[in-house]
Amino acid sequence: MKAKHLLAAAALAVLFGGQARAEDATLDLVGPIADYKIYVSENLQKLVSDTQAFTDAVKAGDVEKAKSLFAPTRMSYEAIEPIAELFGDLDASIDSRADDYEAAEKDPAFPGFHRLEYGLWEQNSTEGLAPIADKLMADVNELNGLITNLTLPPEKVVGGAAALMEEVAATKISGEEDRYSHTDLWDFKANFDGSQKIFELVRPLIEQKEGDFVKKVADNFATVDTTLAKYKDGEGYQLYDKLSEEDRKVLATAVNTLAEDLSTLRAKLGLS
Amino acid sequence: MSRHPAPKQPVDNTRRRLLLGAGAAAGSVLVPGAAQAEAAAARHHVTDAPTGDASFADRWPFYGEHQQGVTTPRPASGMIASFDVLAQTPGDLEALFRGLTERLVFLTQGWTPPELDPKLPPPDSGILGPVVAPDNLTATVSLGSSLFDDRDWLKPLKPKKLQRMTKFPNDALDAGICHGDLVLQFCANRPDTTIHALRDVLKSMPDKLLLRWKQEGTVPVIPPNPDGRVESARNLLGFRDGSANPDSGDSIVWVGEAHDEPAWAVGGTYQAVRIVRNFVERWDRTPLGEQERIMGRRKPSGAPFNGHTEFDEPDYTKDPDGKVTAHDAHIRLANPRTAESRKNLILRRPFNYSNGVTKSGQLEQGLLFICYQADLEAGFITVQRRLNGEPLEEYLKPIGGGYFYVPPGALSPGDYVGRTLIEAAREGKASPT
Ligand code: HEM
Repeated sequence: MKAKHLLAAAALAVLFGGQARAEDATLDLVGPIADYKIYVSENLQKLVSDTQAFTDAVKAGDVEKAKSLFAPTRMSYEAIEPIAELFGDLDASIDSRADDYEAAEKDPAFPGFHRLEYGLWEQNSTEGLAPIADKLMADVNELNGLITNLTLPPEKVVGGAAALMEEVAATKISGEEDRYSHTDLWDFKANFDGSQKIFELVRPLIEQKEGDFVKKVADNFATVDTTLAKYKDGEGYQLYDKLSEEDRKVLATAVNTLAEDLSTLRAKLGLS
Repeated sequence: MSRHPAPKQPVDNTRRRLLLGAGAAAGSVLVPGAAQAEAAAARHHVTDAPTGDASFADRWPFYGEHQQGVTTPRPASGMIASFDVLAQTPGDLEALFRGLTERLVFLTQGWTPPELDPKLPPPDSGILGPVVAPDNLTATVSLGSSLFDDRDWLKPLKPKKLQRMTKFPNDALDAGICHGDLVLQFCANRPDTTIHALRDVLKSMPDKLLLRWKQEGTVPVIPPNPDGRVESARNLLGFRDGSANPDSGDSIVWVGEAHDEPAWAVGGTYQAVRIVRNFVERWDRTPLGEQERIMGRRKPSGAPFNGHTEFDEPDYTKDPDGKVTAHDAHIRLANPRTAESRKNLILRRPFNYSNGVTKSGQLEQGLLFICYQADLEAGFITVQRRLNGEPLEEYLKPIGGGYFYVPPGALSPGDYVGRTLIEAAREGKASPT
């Protein structure tokens, strides 16, 4: 137990009373959680400025520019999705899909990134998108404010590593997330990075005791990295339909295995 | 596991030990009296309706020369689940086979999952409760053509007749429910037991198997008659299905030394799976007489036109002009009962499926057709070719499935399903990995 963490740790223990049962482990998490908070803030800063540029382009009627900014803008959101999801209403408003609405794309309630994506790619136009762009910007700003003032619950942070993989496994590996732009590989990359970041932050705490586990998880992240790297294109990634069937299987397997393994990460750190 | 009874005998020549309606008290070993067995011998099949007296404790031995779930009497619930296999080397494939065998032994023999720290996800889905009872579960592993085709070191070992299923004229195959590197067939008394087994495998082997598709099905449960006679269950067209199934002990099912197949495959069998949608609304608007003509059997009894019960044999020698049973009736085309057509016998072991409603507002239901034979071409493929263009096609649409090879069984603890294939692959390789 490092002395400088003692105070913060005591505060945490009070905050998460019952959950801090396995004291040692929970206390050790203070450092990683603080580091993760920095990671989240950096991503939020980037999300705010990127969303500003993206929505400005939409409002200026610049379809091509807006299209080019769509995928990179989303990455900082996708990387910290488990935290954004703590605010379910905002997450729905920012990142829900047409299927979440009864009348799908035609539903006037369909908002956010994917509504803009639909307009830009399917209709190749920014017509009628300005209010949606304004709302997205407002939502992102609100999210930024809320998360900045949030004390991150350790079990949510650690659980986030698996949660990101569950998301990919359940609704992304099929290529249904960015179904109009087919920029899913950018999202994948961000989801994996977000998950790996959490794993790497807590890794030193379990490296000794859980050597096999740590190696297996690290190997699977490495498999994902090498596989995605094949599809690198400039700053970003090729379209989802370029992903070969073989590589899709490799990614899907890595995702399932990571989801399964990382589902034990909380317990390994003494969190319930 | 002391709370479970000793295994029942494996199916010998099937008919001897089948459920004769003798109240199957939990754990009792169901061996009928000899006389009763003789009397019943002519009319008991793999496809007899489940009798509803099955117990959670019922279990089939996992180990044996042949895999279970082929000649084992068909219980009320069945599932076919198809997977992609990630393994690229003999070592990886062996690890898959070994790991899978280990899970299937637990699942089919019953086990009590350990209690873990509640901070961890539980080791078992828990849908069968804290003790996993076997519930008559059988697990059958089979291998698709792609498993061999996509790996150079396996190519030379592919069973001779194994091939990718191709479209028959009436098919409308949906790629999303076709083929696969490896298939698991789970059958049990209750559908929850097959679902439990699938979830266990998915959780245990996420790094080795990737689920492609699955189809579940059921067989209606029919209590036996007072005389112990068991009927064939009906399919969703309302006809008894399985009446003329051959004795599963016959040599039609298992590949032996005499077959022209790789040595590793001896003791195995070919599995043909077809998801055949039935247009039931249209069928229900078809006159009864026509339904019976199309099938070649009476609907209430299942009897052929020249008999009284479903187990009477159709006799086409007295009906050369098709006046009694039309030449294009389903059963006559499927099995013309000539000396020649004996080569084409297959063991059918299907389940009814019911999936929901189509975009047009019709019921999406039909037959999860599964059959076994020692020669896929002489069996399913030839029979289906004869059926091409049959009048029944107006009411059918095959939409999925595939052809697979069921390797021989694991012989005893320590052995694993697929061992003979792995050994053959290693022998064939200069530098085994
Ligand atoms: C939804 C599709 C099907 C339905 C509703 C159906 C229904 C039936 C029924 C009611 C019988 C008579 C009872 C019996 O002997 O089991 C029968 C017999 C038979 N069917 Fe089918 N069947 C279907 C598909 C197939 C397919 C795909 C094949 C093989 C390619 C097949 C092969 C046979 C054979 C070999 C017999 C036994 C004929 C005999 O030995 O007399 N059936 N089927």
